[in-house]
Amino acid sequence: MTASNVVKRDAPSARPAPYKFSWAWLGVMPFFLFAFMFLIYPSSTIALGSFQDTNTQAFTLQNFAHLLQNPNLIAAYWISIKISLITSLGGGIFGFLLAYAAIRGGLPPFMRSSLMTFCGVASNFAGVPLAFAFIALLSPSGVLTGWLKAMGYNPYFHGFQLYTFWGLSIVYMYFQFPLMVLVIAPAIDGLRREWLEAAENLGASSFQYWRYIALPILLPSILGTMILLFGNSFGAFATAQALTGGQINLVTIMVGAQLRGDVLGDAGLGYALALGMVVIMAIAITGYTVLQRQSERWLR
Amino acid sequence: MTHLELSHISKQFGQTAVVQDFNLDVKTGEFVSFLGPSGCGKTTTLRMIAGFETPTTGKVMLGDADITDMAPNQRDVGMVFQAYALFPNMTVAQNIGFGMKIHKEPESAIKERVIEMLALIHLEQKGNSYPAQLSGGQQQRVALARALANRPKVLLLDEPLSALDAKIRVSLRAEIRAIQRKLGITAIYVTHDQEEALSISDRIVVMFDGRIEQVGTPFEIYNFPQTAFVASFVGTLNTTDAEVIDPVKKLIKIDGVQLETAEELQGRKKGDKIKIAIRPERLNFVSVEKKANILDCTVENITFLGSVVRIQVKIGSNRFNMDTFNNPFLELPKIGAKEQVSCSREAVIILNS
Amino acid sequence: MKRGSVVWSWFWMILGIIYFFLPLVATFIFSLKAKLGVLSFLAYQQLFNDPDFIKGFSYSVMWGILTIIVGILIFFPTAYWVRMRLPQVRTAVEFVTMLPFVVPAIVFVFGLVRTFSHPPFLIVDSPALLVLAYVVLTMPYMYRSIDTGLRSIDVRTLTEAAQSLGAGWGTILFRVILPNIRVSIISGGFLGFAIVMGEYILAQYLAKPAFAPFLAYLIQQKAYEPAAATIVSIALTWACMGIIQLVGRGGSQPQIAGGH
Repeated sequence: MTASNVVKRDAPSARPAPYKFSWAWLGVMPFFLFAFMFLIYPSSTIALGSFQDTNTQAFTLQNFAHLLQNPNLIAAYWISIKISLITSLGGGIFGFLLAYAAIRGGLPPFMRSSLMTFCGVASNFAGVPLAFAFIALLSPSGVLTGWLKAMGYNPYFHGFQLYTFWGLSIVYMYFQFPLMVLVIAPAIDGLRREWLEAAENLGASSFQYWRYIALPILLPSILGTMILLFGNSFGAFATAQALTGGQINLVTIMVGAQLRGDVLGDAGLGYALALGMVVIMAIAITGYTVLQRQSERWLR
Repeated sequence: MTHLELSHISKQFGQTAVVQDFNLDVKTGEFVSFLGPSGCGKTTTLRMIAGFETPTTGKVMLGDADITDMAPNQRDVGMVFQAYALFPNMTVAQNIGFGMKIHKEPESAIKERVIEMLALIHLEQKGNSYPAQLSGGQQQRVALARALANRPKVLLLDEPLSALDAKIRVSLRAEIRAIQRKLGITAIYVTHDQEEALSISDRIVVMFDGRIEQVGTPFEIYNFPQTAFVASFVGTLNTTDAEVIDPVKKLIKIDGVQLETAEELQGRKKGDKIKIAIRPERLNFVSVEKKANILDCTVENITFLGSVVRIQVKIGSNRFNMDTFNNPFLELPKIGAKEQVSCSREAVIILNS
Repeated sequence: MKRGSVVWSWFWMILGIIYFFLPLVATFIFSLKAKLGVLSFLAYQQLFNDPDFIKGFSYSVMWGILTIIVGILIFFPTAYWVRMRLPQVRTAVEFVTMLPFVVPAIVFVFGLVRTFSHPPFLIVDSPALLVLAYVVLTMPYMYRSIDTGLRSIDVRTLTEAAQSLGAGWGTILFRVILPNIRVSIISGGFLGFAIVMGEYILAQYLAKPAFAPFLAYLIQQKAYEPAAATIVSIALTWACMGIIQLVGRGGSQPQIAGGH
């Protein structure tokens, strides 16, 4: 057996090269066809529509101009960004502390797997059921409101409102922090115990270990996941819709309203709105991917 | 002068006693190895010196200070880990200088020390590289420099070479020993590789099942093993059962053949069953040299190991290995041939257990 | 571990547990309050007798099952082919599987309605469109699951062994490879199923009967039945996650920017 025989066996596509190549490409055609027909093409019609005049179909940038001139829509973007920043920061920090506590915090081992299961359920629980669960909890006739009132404290007398920005933020946190826990857990696993011991051995206190070693190493992962959380919140629709009946001014709500045919009346504007969303999501997903790759270099 | 003292150290994990009644005095500048198979307690003992485990009973004294319960970041010991444990987000220079930075030493002092350390480990050009850009051997040298930069009183090494290739292991262990000698620092070295321990230690502590089996110089451990475990773990050995014939004349017999030993048989009487051992290199064919003890044998197998030729012979019902240096011009016997082997009185070792 | 830090760990853990369980407990209590003054399962009785619930729930189950089947039929052979014959196309495929994250569901359905409301693709009213849309929505999770499963077995050797014994492609794929990645298929399948069961946006805007739109409607109409329905939905999600943990490596895949 010569070396060339061995090479031939391991590279079937090397034999009748052009033939094998064209047949093999056929194998992935169904997938790309499917993705094109039912994802790429429909999504690109949105992009195309945003550059078209509603009536004449001619190329125009007017839709974007109208978007930037519409105070309602600018406010919608701003509110969406605000809620996404708050819940990604809050959910991110809380999720990280929770994940670290369960994995490296000296708790019994079953806490980790229980936490992972809860978080799997919670991150999937979003949407209409979650909205109702919080209504059952904190609406004026909610269970927790009732308990607090029985203890003499009525949150509604102190300015609390569930169907507002802050109420929605609390609801959003419910699926944000589990997402953080699930995504950051592998990174925390990657924090090798020897680094802590080496640091202690060289005289570092707990704070110094975190400041010089653990946090710098985890930062790309934490930051990347928070960006993911931002995108997650920005694109959320059903929860806000079910909780506020579409009353709150978010970009997703606006797009939904546009779909139903009311509010804007100008189709092109609606498409511009939607495209703006996609651009923001794309930036978020890219940021996440880049930072994930960076963190994997140190935490393999 | 005792620098590091461990007295009656023991460690329990639940019901299991991982280390039992460990006692050791280490002198300043001494290089001591903890040698033993996996699970014998050597790493646990080392970690108790470092402070990553607390002894269940016993005391650890470093000089005049009792460090038994001291936190690991307060002790003045430097540790080198098996997995290097270099901080991936810092350069080599930053890793080495980290201990001094924690102790708030001035920038200039840190810079100077880092240059000194890089020269010591022969990696002067790698100060600005990251650990991921270095080979395994280079990373371990940086880990060594990082531990030494802090000027610790004792250097602890936890199987530092296990993760490296065989050739690098041999050269790096010599380098570690050379650095240790040059700095005169007390060192404790944990390993399961007996060749490693024999080649670089001042003294070896052989451990098994949480206990110390024997403490001694490499020469003592190899030539005068006190227990069957030490004898079999360190180097190859032929062991067999024997019976005492005459305690005064130091005669014993194995399988009906009489042997004379040089060891004391006091306290034993005729008919006592004992265990003896003979090193393979202490046996030779009578055609080469005739010594006090002569035994008949049959040649069973001949294995060529490079510089050593190992001949397996059958003496009575025992199989013995006989090692001789390779000599291309010496004629070796055929398999199945009947020969005579001999060994001196001193070659017959009595085992205590 | 130092003593102080364990206290903090318990603190955050307990906080997390409270935050997690409070809404669930509240919903459950709420669901028992249908009968005035006494705790009962009246709301559940009303729910299970509600024809709209039965309709919404069973349709969602059907969408879920169809989605899994179609998904496996598209993604499994593709993942296999990429791994076996076309590794150079892998980056493109993985990029495509990430795209559903970039297009939020509300925008996605917007595009679907626009594209498929006009000839020659006038299928906006067809249930097939909903199922295919769901397959797109669950693509990141299902494809990733299958791909991970294929990575952990020696696909090449299994294929060559089967070929040398005379097996055709159908047999190789579905009787040799598929059974060996059972765990990944089940994990991905149940995750996809859970997502479809809770999905609101696509079902609502493509005007198809499903559980989540039914729940949204119920919230406007009734007081206590929605609580019972929410508990049912939670129990179902929990069951799916539990099965995934039981069967598999336990690594929960989080749901990101999808149907909520």
